[in-house]
Amino acid sequence: MLGGVGIDRRLVYNVDWVLIGSTLVLSLVGVAMVYSATHAGRQPELYLKQLALAGIGLVAMALAAALDYRRLADRAVLLYVLSLMALLYVLGFGPLIAGTRRWVLIGGFQLQPSELVKLAAAVFAAKVFSEFRQESLGLREVVLPGAAVGLLALLIAREPDLGTAACLVPLFLAVAFLAGLRMRAVLGLAMALVLSAGLAWPMLKDYQKTRIYTFLDPSLDPRGAGYQKIQSQIAVGSGGLLGRGFLEGSQAQLGYLPARHTDFIFSVLAEEAGFVGVLLALALYLLLLWRMLETARLARDRLGAFLVAGVSATFAFQVVYNVGMVAGLVPVKGLPLPLMSYGGSSMVSSLVGIGLVLSVRMRRFAN
Amino acid sequence: MRIYEDLRLVQSRLAMLQAVVVLLVAGLVVQFWNLQVVRARHFRELAENNRSRVVTLAAPRGALVDRKGQLLVGNRPSFNVVLVPEHALNLDRVVARLASALGMGEAAIRERLARRQPYRPVVVKTDATLADIAVLEARRLELPEVSVEVVPLRSYPLASAAAHALGQVGEISERQLQLPEFKGLPPGALVGQAGIESRYNRELMGQDGFRRVVVNSRGLEVAESARQPPSDGPNLTLSIDASLQAAMEAAFEGRSGSAVALDPATGEILAMTSTPAYDPNRFTTGIEPHEWASLANDPETPLMNRVIQGSYAPGSTFKVIVATAALEEGLITPQTSFYCPGQLSVYNTVFRCSTPGGHGVVDLRRAIQVSCNVYFYQVGIRLEITRLAKWGKLMGLGSPTGVDLPFEASGLMPSPEWKLRVLKTPWYAGETVSVAIGQGQVSATPIQMARVAAFIANGGRLVRPHFARQAGTPLPAPVVRPETIAAVTDGMRSVVAAGTGLRARLSSVEVCGKTGSAQVVARSRLEKTPNARAIMPHGWFIAFAPAERPRIALAVLVEHGGSGALAAAPVARRILSHFFGLDRPEPPAAGARVDATDTED
Repeated sequence: MLGGVGIDRRLVYNVDWVLIGSTLVLSLVGVAMVYSATHAGRQPELYLKQLALAGIGLVAMALAAALDYRRLADRAVLLYVLSLMALLYVLGFGPLIAGTRRWVLIGGFQLQPSELVKLAAAVFAAKVFSEFRQESLGLREVVLPGAAVGLLALLIAREPDLGTAACLVPLFLAVAFLAGLRMRAVLGLAMALVLSAGLAWPMLKDYQKTRIYTFLDPSLDPRGAGYQKIQSQIAVGSGGLLGRGFLEGSQAQLGYLPARHTDFIFSVLAEEAGFVGVLLALALYLLLLWRMLETARLARDRLGAFLVAGVSATFAFQVVYNVGMVAGLVPVKGLPLPLMSYGGSSMVSSLVGIGLVLSVRMRRFAN
Repeated sequence: MRIYEDLRLVQSRLAMLQAVVVLLVAGLVVQFWNLQVVRARHFRELAENNRSRVVTLAAPRGALVDRKGQLLVGNRPSFNVVLVPEHALNLDRVVARLASALGMGEAAIRERLARRQPYRPVVVKTDATLADIAVLEARRLELPEVSVEVVPLRSYPLASAAAHALGQVGEISERQLQLPEFKGLPPGALVGQAGIESRYNRELMGQDGFRRVVVNSRGLEVAESARQPPSDGPNLTLSIDASLQAAMEAAFEGRSGSAVALDPATGEILAMTSTPAYDPNRFTTGIEPHEWASLANDPETPLMNRVIQGSYAPGSTFKVIVATAALEEGLITPQTSFYCPGQLSVYNTVFRCSTPGGHGVVDLRRAIQVSCNVYFYQVGIRLEITRLAKWGKLMGLGSPTGVDLPFEASGLMPSPEWKLRVLKTPWYAGETVSVAIGQGQVSATPIQMARVAAFIANGGRLVRPHFARQAGTPLPAPVVRPETIAAVTDGMRSVVAAGTGLRARLSSVEVCGKTGSAQVVARSRLEKTPNARAIMPHGWFIAFAPAERPRIALAVLVEHGGSGALAAAPVARRILSHFFGLDRPEPPAAGARVDATDTED
């Protein structure tokens, strides 16, 4: 039996209702924004699908919360191997969609294994680092686990899905940092990352380079790669203080905003709900992240703290990067906004991640 | 597993992570504040530009109708293919697809795009055919940023008839866009480029309206947010008589030349033609460069309105002015006679008369009738150039008539002052002798000579020729005595009744006229067209009718026609016989005594 399911009164007592509440509110806001972005389009029923996915995700979240994370971590290596196999399968046999192989088709559903690999990587990293017993870690100690997680990131990047692959970097860094990685090593790692980015530059595909160029100067190509950034900024800016009103944003409703129900869902919110709506949404995300990191602080063991930190780091990175992208602060990259962007894998993965966090908090006093 | 792990380091580092997250979110808030509060207005404008598209509703130009209400120039619906470049995601692809759909070159489309204004639709093709529209409809989904507008297009149902008077419209040029009179017009606007279309452009244009519509990202219209209907340009009634105009064109029987007919009492232009002509319909959608080149380089100058831009030596038609001047200055009376031996030797030069044997003793009437040069040499010598120039100018020579058409030529009424100023040489008395028979430096446009005919016809008033009622001027007071008019009219009557203008005679209407032939002095032109015709003189005929209470005055010039008597008078007769409803062919004036040779005028 993988942990006791909801019988222990102490478990129920330690359920983080604030975390669950803010998760629910953000998911419902997401459904509303998906409705706004798609109700006039070719797939007006997508919001219902999103609602159903949120329901499925909540069940999965409950299951993950019920699961004892320590039992899960015992199978970290198995999860890692399964992740590798899934990613290799996608690269080898996944259908080619828009020039990428990111999905597997199971019973008519498109599943994105990389979303679940993020969680597996969090479990794996938490387990590995919780096994270290030294007070402080040097670079030497983190090379092997780093290589293991890096391999996953590399495979995801090959799909190509740079955004999701990038998520593994803050995940690994956060866990290693908590595990006592020396500050010097942290800085060293940061430098190594910058260096490797420099070395990777010639290997980037042309469209990826173009994205970076046009991020620096969108007017270089206002109809092409700069288009998304420009249109998103117009949507955000034209929302003003109070927004254009629900279903009233011209950028979203007339289709100027690209990927408006997926990666740019936050632009729809910014346009229609304005700065006030943005503040509320960001406050909810901040609350959520704060509660997650609080959970890490309250965790009864290093494993729990590291697991929560890994999940939170990914979550925080995605929120900050996606919202920053919407606001034109970072280059456009395919990275969904957790809980709000349309997409089943992302939704379920985010909710399961929150379920793991709940699991850790519920068991802070358990044996 | 130990129950209690040391978590102090983890917890302190977690606090750092929490701080980082708060800082990052705070940074995001700052950026949203910047975008949504500080720069909100800027982005609101950009969003507005994105979604709204202004569609011009072209105001139909006012129609031009003749004095009886017949349509001379109207409008027909046509299709314009338009594109808003800002709404194209991939402009290169759109241009390539359009080029293939419409069968045009990509360069031509790009050239039009280069002249655009931001967010204004660019007309890619004017007057697209139904086949073009069908192709575009079939490719609608591929080319959502392209649309078809229905716009009124100028049409000239009479084709080349009165082409020079009516003029034509064409796309506004770069230069015109800078002019104050075209202020506010967009590139691609159709404006009058010649003739009445140009002269009355402002009046005819009306006021374009617009629709402001909401379009989605694929360029499809989803709603209309504002509309201002166009106000049509008012119709303009012209003094032209379309039927007479047609008769005038036909009267030339394909020869080069020009004619203009006026109502002598008002100056209203009843008909005006210049041949060869062109079809203004070719200009309305933008003329092809090679077609333009062939018109512009044609040695027969079809684009030139000879009536107002052709300056010719008036030849013997000028004698009407000399006679009027001499009578008014009191130098001669109708009875004054001179002896014509066939030539006059004066100032060491022999000036010849038209008939080698001479006309014998001639009075004013006969001098006009047979166009005796010697008589007018004698009169001219007595008048001297200063008084001759004064009367030439009084009767409208040397300055534009003020007709309501652009680019009118002045002709030239020479005087000693003019010669000193322009040629820097003094006037020679011998030149006066040439000028007295309409040769030498004097030159006039056909419309100026038609005005001279009208001057005699209306009792000595200089009217302003015009097409539009508003361009008319109050009839001036006569500047000559009735006796003078009577004497000149008498001479002109005998020209047609039994003189050089016999070929203009009508069976039932008394026509007064004067023939003339203008020597072709331009040797340069001879070199260009080395044929016999090119050195033939131009034939003039000026006339009015009926002799009592004239209703029409006209001037006819047949280029290289040889003589006015042979070339121009028959043309005038055809015009006049139509005017008076005598179109049926008349038997030649057999038995009438012709006491002057046909060639002499």
